[in-house]
Amino acid sequence: MGRASRFLGKSAVERVNAVNLRKPLILTVVASALVGSLAISSISASAASDPGVSSSEIVLGMQLPQTGAASPGYNKVDDAARAYFDYVNSKGGVNGRSIKLVVKDDTYKAGLTISTASKLINEDKIFAFFGSIGTQTHVSIIKDINRRKIPDIFVNSGYSGFYTDPKKYPTTFGGLGTYTVEAKILGKYLKEKYADKKIGILYQSDDFGRNALAGFTAAGLKFEAKKTSASFVAGTQGSIGLASQLSQLKANGVDIVIIAAVSSATAVAYATASAIAYKPTKWAVISVGADATTFQTILGSKGVPAATSAAMLAGTISASHAPAPGDATDEYVTAFKKINDDFNKGADKRWDNNVMQGMNIAYLATSALMGVGKDLTRAKLIAYLENNGSKLSSAAFAPLGYSKSTHEAFTGFWLGEYDATTLLAPIDGKRVVYTTDSGSGAVTISDYKRPAIAADALPKVA
Amino acid sequence: MSKVKTHKVIGLRSTLLSLVLFLFFILLSNQFEPYNQSQLANIAMLLIAVLSITLLTGASGQISLGQGAIMAVGGYSSALLVTRLGLSMWLAFILAIFVSALFGLFLGLAAARLSGPYLAGTTLVMALAIPSIAVRFETFFSGDVGLSVDYGMPPEWLTKLIGEVSIEEWSLYVVLPFTAVALFAVLNLSNTRIGRTWRAVRDNEVAASLAGINIGRTKVIVFVCASGLAGLAGALYGFRGLVAPSVYPTDLSLTLLTAAVIGGLRSIGGAIFGTFVIVFLPDLIEKVTNNLAIPETVGIYLPALAIGLLLLLTVILNPRGAAGALEHLRHKKKH
Repeated sequence: MGRASRFLGKSAVERVNAVNLRKPLILTVVASALVGSLAISSISASAASDPGVSSSEIVLGMQLPQTGAASPGYNKVDDAARAYFDYVNSKGGVNGRSIKLVVKDDTYKAGLTISTASKLINEDKIFAFFGSIGTQTHVSIIKDINRRKIPDIFVNSGYSGFYTDPKKYPTTFGGLGTYTVEAKILGKYLKEKYADKKIGILYQSDDFGRNALAGFTAAGLKFEAKKTSASFVAGTQGSIGLASQLSQLKANGVDIVIIAAVSSATAVAYATASAIAYKPTKWAVISVGADATTFQTILGSKGVPAATSAAMLAGTISASHAPAPGDATDEYVTAFKKINDDFNKGADKRWDNNVMQGMNIAYLATSALMGVGKDLTRAKLIAYLENNGSKLSSAAFAPLGYSKSTHEAFTGFWLGEYDATTLLAPIDGKRVVYTTDSGSGAVTISDYKRPAIAADALPKVA
Repeated sequence: MSKVKTHKVIGLRSTLLSLVLFLFFILLSNQFEPYNQSQLANIAMLLIAVLSITLLTGASGQISLGQGAIMAVGGYSSALLVTRLGLSMWLAFILAIFVSALFGLFLGLAAARLSGPYLAGTTLVMALAIPSIAVRFETFFSGDVGLSVDYGMPPEWLTKLIGEVSIEEWSLYVVLPFTAVALFAVLNLSNTRIGRTWRAVRDNEVAASLAGINIGRTKVIVFVCASGLAGLAGALYGFRGLVAPSVYPTDLSLTLLTAAVIGGLRSIGGAIFGTFVIVFLPDLIEKVTNNLAIPETVGIYLPALAIGLLLLLTVILNPRGAAGALEHLRHKKKH
């Protein structure tokens, strides 16, 4: 009330009264007082520390599509991350604080993302955004998060535009290797291995698809629009389908088809190719579009038996920064899988790429929070990630690329081929990790040695 | 029957009601924390779009399932004016009204020949098609990434005047004057001669044309007015952070129509009520599901389910919406 009269100036309020507005005004005041009393009472933030940190708790916030067309697969990441945090909490938390993950469903619509972000910031009073999924949705809030100086860590988007200019987005740090890095590595391999074949691409015409296309082009692959290069509007793969795009690639005699699209589009592409009797020599799919479980679930919903969809996927080339989820010999896989079994309370906790990614970024976030120490502030977390992030280890076979000049995550990928059991196995049986940057740097073999995971599966940070 | 009012009375009444709405929002926002202030700002901007449906469907009987697409037209025109030409946000908002009104003119020219399900179908196609134009012509419209725009930080003079203003509060202060003016315009339009003409066309086209009303022209004028309003709402909605296809999805158009139906298609008060419902009901449900410890796997579907049910029940049991029910009660009391 006081604020309102100050806002209008006292004389203005008097003027309004003079126009005989007394009755409606009284009504208004009564109504607003009623609503006000119903509204949540204000919680004053403690002046000493940043929001979302108390002596006993750290609150992180995440936005992702939990429902809607874009949700399959990705809606498992939050449950997986929460399972790891619950495990950490069961072991005493980080410096005596437990980690709480608040999740909001933005249904992959940017209009809603803006509202849910405001809720996370103002109502849930989060300390940092963690692991938010979706490039187009994250674009809508990244500026606002950064101007409020809220850490925005391990974003589940490989869009290089978020990370390569830390002056623009100082608080945002990646949680996936960029699409450009992955496409450069995959592109170089395809160009050398299949020099005599015609290579084409199917990509979704958004920043993700274009970012990947830029990487493949940087690797020296050349595509001809309307001939060996076909695109579709992201999200239309389910409704409109991809028949015209695949017919175009078939008609132009493309032998190697690269897919830079989400998993649901990959599934539609394979089903469509089989319907039009198009059998390219090889499929090469960018990692976020090649999750075997999502692929099989989507085809399963169309009545394709699991054995058939596994056979369809077999032979597909893809890349990964982390071990294949089906790799039972990997110590991180074994440790994370056990935690997933014991702590995941999600509706679908089947072990796959999405679950592992959720676990892995939760592991990394825990490392960073441990690294900052007892005196945890937003500024300190950002400084820590910038200075020490590249030294943090995880299940990934490549380190985080964080520095003062870039905030991109995993800088390396290894290439594999799906076998008949939907396991991504290293090409020629030996895992070689390649590394490069999102710019014009060359693709080289990485000499990074991944540190072992501790027996209790907790990060050990000095 | 209410008495016929003179222009002066209508003008004064519209001014007072708009001022009351303005003050109501300001007073309400002072009771709120930043999140609810931003929700209040959402209500203020979406209300303008819902009012456009009140005009179009309520007053003139033309159905539109594509107001969200016209919002996109307003959003893109204002965002392009700001990012490409460097215009001020305020000027861009006003120009967005004209651009979308012009768009409404062309749409109206085609739509005046259609009615009922044919018109609904055409406008629905528009809701599907317009956002994807931005992706097809991505160099100009920036594709899926969209155009990053915002209301900026609260100006210094304001913070000097009333103390610290949060970003959420500032967004409300930007939107509210436009909402008040829009309400003023709609109240005036629907209560004066032009509004009576629209209602005459809605109720009986033959009778209206016998009374000398040009049916086609009247319908086009409604489309122009409603599109101007929706465009303004879209511009304000886009400046929350981003103008992109995923900000104006098809279900935005349907949500707006839902608000208008729940409140009462023919009532301006109903539009205000309906907009409050669609914005605050999901929050309320979330609070209840949290308190009752309903599992997340069920809880995430409840807001859409509740609003859908409310819409169905309104259509089946109370087609005139909340405003109609209120009037019915008042009427019953009198007799």
